[in-house]
Amino acid sequence: MRPPMGPPPGGPGGHGGRRRPPMEDFDESKFLEQSKDLLELRYIDDKNAVFKRTEGGFVSLDYTDKEGNVQHYDRVGVYRTFPMSNPDIFISIREPDEKAREIGVVKDLKEIAKETADILREQLDLRYFVPQVERIIDVKSEYGYAYFDVVTDFGNCRFAIHMSGGGVVHLTDTRIMITDIDGNRFEIKDVSKLSSAELKKIDLFL
Amino acid sequence: MKLKYRLPKDRQEMLGLRDNEEIKYCAPYDLAYENNKAEKGYIDDGYIVVTADTKNGGRLFVTKADKIVHEYELGKCDEVKCESLIDNGILTVKKDGKQYCLARFSMKHVARFAYIAKGADLIAKGKDREVVSTERDIYCDKCGRALPGTSKCPHCEGKGDTFNKFMQLCGPYKWRLLTISLFMIFSSFCSLFTPEIQQRFIDDSLRDASGTTADVLRFVFTMLGISVALIVVNVAKNWWCVTLGARISMDLRRKLYEKVQILSLSFMNKRKPGELINRITRDTSHIRQFMESVFGNIFSTVFTMVGALIVMISMDVMLTLASIMFIVVVIIMNRLWWKKIRRMFRMQRFKDDKVHSRLQDVISGMRVVKSFGKEREESQRFIALTGEFADVQKNNETFFAIFYPLLMFVMGLGMYFATYFGGTFVLDGIMTPGELMQFISYTGILYGPLQWMTNLPRSILQMVTSLERVYDVLDEIPEIGDNQTCIEKEIEGNIEIDNVTFGYKPYEPVLEGISLNVKKGEMIGLVGPSGAGKSTLINLIMRLYDVDEGAIRIDGTDIRQITQKSLHSQIGVVLQETFLFAGTILNNIKFAKSDATFEEVIRAAKAANAHDFIVKTPDGYNTYVGEHGHKLSGGERQRIAIARAILNDPKLLILDEATSALDTESEYMIQQALERLTEGRTTFAIAHRLSTLRNATRLVVIDAHKIAEVGTHNELMEKKGIYYGLVTAQLKMQGSMPIENPEDLLEKESEGDTTGQGDKE
Ligand SMILES: Nc1ncnc2c1ncn2[C@@H]1O[C@H](COP(=O)(O)OP(=O)(O)O)[C@@H](O)[C@H]1O
Ligand SMILES: [Mg+2]
Repeated sequence: MRPPMGPPPGGPGGHGGRRRPPMEDFDESKFLEQSKDLLELRYIDDKNAVFKRTEGGFVSLDYTDKEGNVQHYDRVGVYRTFPMSNPDIFISIREPDEKAREIGVVKDLKEIAKETADILREQLDLRYFVPQVERIIDVKSEYGYAYFDVVTDFGNCRFAIHMSGGGVVHLTDTRIMITDIDGNRFEIKDVSKLSSAELKKIDLFL
Repeated sequence: MKLKYRLPKDRQEMLGLRDNEEIKYCAPYDLAYENNKAEKGYIDDGYIVVTADTKNGGRLFVTKADKIVHEYELGKCDEVKCESLIDNGILTVKKDGKQYCLARFSMKHVARFAYIAKGADLIAKGKDREVVSTERDIYCDKCGRALPGTSKCPHCEGKGDTFNKFMQLCGPYKWRLLTISLFMIFSSFCSLFTPEIQQRFIDDSLRDASGTTADVLRFVFTMLGISVALIVVNVAKNWWCVTLGARISMDLRRKLYEKVQILSLSFMNKRKPGELINRITRDTSHIRQFMESVFGNIFSTVFTMVGALIVMISMDVMLTLASIMFIVVVIIMNRLWWKKIRRMFRMQRFKDDKVHSRLQDVISGMRVVKSFGKEREESQRFIALTGEFADVQKNNETFFAIFYPLLMFVMGLGMYFATYFGGTFVLDGIMTPGELMQFISYTGILYGPLQWMTNLPRSILQMVTSLERVYDVLDEIPEIGDNQTCIEKEIEGNIEIDNVTFGYKPYEPVLEGISLNVKKGEMIGLVGPSGAGKSTLINLIMRLYDVDEGAIRIDGTDIRQITQKSLHSQIGVVLQETFLFAGTILNNIKFAKSDATFEEVIRAAKAANAHDFIVKTPDGYNTYVGEHGHKLSGGERQRIAIARAILNDPKLLILDEATSALDTESEYMIQQALERLTEGRTTFAIAHRLSTLRNATRLVVIDAHKIAEVGTHNELMEKKGIYYGLVTAQLKMQGSMPIENPEDLLEKESEGDTTGQGDKE
């Protein structure tokens, strides 16, 4: 039985991570470890991590922590921390379960091996789906909804938004985000790049 | 929501279904996913098909065009899941411990595949249960248009609905409408007739100076009479219109308010509160404005214009064309510039909003701004914003200062043309000077309301949109409501939660397979990390939402079979967000039982340990609280909320972190009082401070959507699971650090706890 009190253990405690097993005893070091986590930003780079594509289309990770312990994850979540403004930096690598504890952060996709960056990019492409509107073919409004017919980087798409507002949000003066009634989001990177005919069609929402 | 789409025949043949196999679920997916990679593209001929087979368990197919991309025997799969990612979802299966991603779809299909994956998972686990979705589809099955929260498609079934609705609205006021129409016709006649009188006067009396002073006087008085009559009629007409508008919008507001109260919380969740408030206030006032300023003039203006045009044409076709020509020019100008004008206005409003919200932000966050010493930066940012706004405004004003006089000038041009041609006609003797005067007057009548007319389509559109939005709420069918079989019921307090699953969004279950039997008089303590679903569970018990699966029964009766009024009147609740209405403390406490006596109120307040602080306020129980009222601390608000909950003597008491903002001493006192009070009453209490729950008969730990542990304090401590961890961690935090064995202290605390108070604070 571990003495419940005393100074924070310095060495490698019980591993944080994985699902919480029914505790044999109250594992204080686990809590301490978790609270230490709060103050720590662990960077993941080519030296301490090996990412591999899995058979099922996800990514696995072998992570070597500071103490030299290797932890294997069958699947990790790959999250953006600044999806809108800086999609390629501070990529957060998380455990796949609901709690999604952070394993570490990849500071910049450009600073790691290209092969690894590609693997992570594939996961980001899977996780995020915000089509970019490239052309606006038609917008018509009927019965309180506006029906958009647009060309996106994913191809042709038709969607409907509520006329009553809230569907179109200005991220900046020229960048807008459109949310349709299903909850899909479409982005127009730069409104000023649209032709004047296209602008006219969406004018009502700008 | 439809879970079984029709699969085209050739696609179905491609699957090669076995004899006993039938399609259970089938739906199209829409995003390309190939070779384990999310591709940038939509696809429109891909299906996910789940079959059931009486012998072999069923299969899961993913097809794309004429190929089967994936095929799994469900019997061999460990798990089928729909994972919701950011703005999209994927279907995964787990087989031999490995997880495979099979297909990807946009938000349009996420909810559907959540159900289908659930269905497939049940088949994989060998359970014979079909998943059905009670959710309504948001697209019309026939035409694919979006349904405005109703089950009726406005296009397929509701043609001319809006007009009918408008007529319905006006229905009770038809006599008033008729009077208004008569007035309108009268006033148009007057305006049309005036130039005629003028013409007669000029030609008959003035031209050759043949008339007498009496003629002049008669003319003046006739004109005066007409003017007075017009004023009287217009005032009356406007008055009727205004009252009509006010009545109609009041009717609508009342109906909306009543409806909003009936509609369940899940409807409110779907819409932002601000939006609903807008519908009640802004949309109804659009309708009122329309009735006042547009509806009242629409007939008379159109009538007058058409009348003027007819008279003009009958006088001289050429001249009419010459003067109308510029109407076309004006309309074109207006059209060309309209978009720009609108954009300008919108930009101005946008900037204005920005200035406003910045100002509001800074003023309400003044303490933060000051404490970080950021006043300078903030004021610079503000100055920059107001600068932008001023620029836009200046440009707009300049534009209008130029544009409108120009427009007026162009309109006037028609008049010059008419005068020129008319003048030559008069000189040639084709036309009399009076007729020329008359003609020019009619031109004026025609041009006058032009500006107003060009705005007309927009006003009507706005009115129709507002009307649609209002009816969108009015036509909504409440999800939670009493049906005919609902009964009034005296609650005893036995509660049975039977395998309940619920999620605010169908694809994100918050609670899964929760089962719990609570006997009358038990106090159940709910613990677990925040966000685990504790409040959600009590929302379900109160039936603020209906469960997705399973049932909640009180004394054996499904709560869906008890009328809402009877159910809610027997539950006392202190919600996590203590909300007090603007009003006195007395009224807030009496909210649950408006006929409570003063004594009852005081007793309830005393039990909630609120009486003392209330009496100490200057106005006692009459102290005004709420947004602009007396500022109460969080703990004081909670105590009032507790008094409100227990006033009604409820059979079932629900306390959601009801004492979280209280100091330990008050909490302890309330605990003691509640303990006496809750005797024989079923109580659910949620608390993070575990000592709050020390009287609980049983503790329920909710974690990861499920009930993780159930038992008494001692049982759970022995189990050394999650609860044990929580208790130990809390004790450590409370600073009772230097103890050898935490369990000793726990036992002490859980048994008799009158001494523990002092050293905790
Ligand atoms: N009205 C709501 N709409 C959508 N999701 C909600 C709503 N209320 C709560 N949730 C979500 O449900 C989960 C459980 O919330 P809740 O029951 O309030 O947790 P707890 O009370 O245990 O802290 C949380 O993830 C929360 O985000
Ligand atoms: Mg809560």
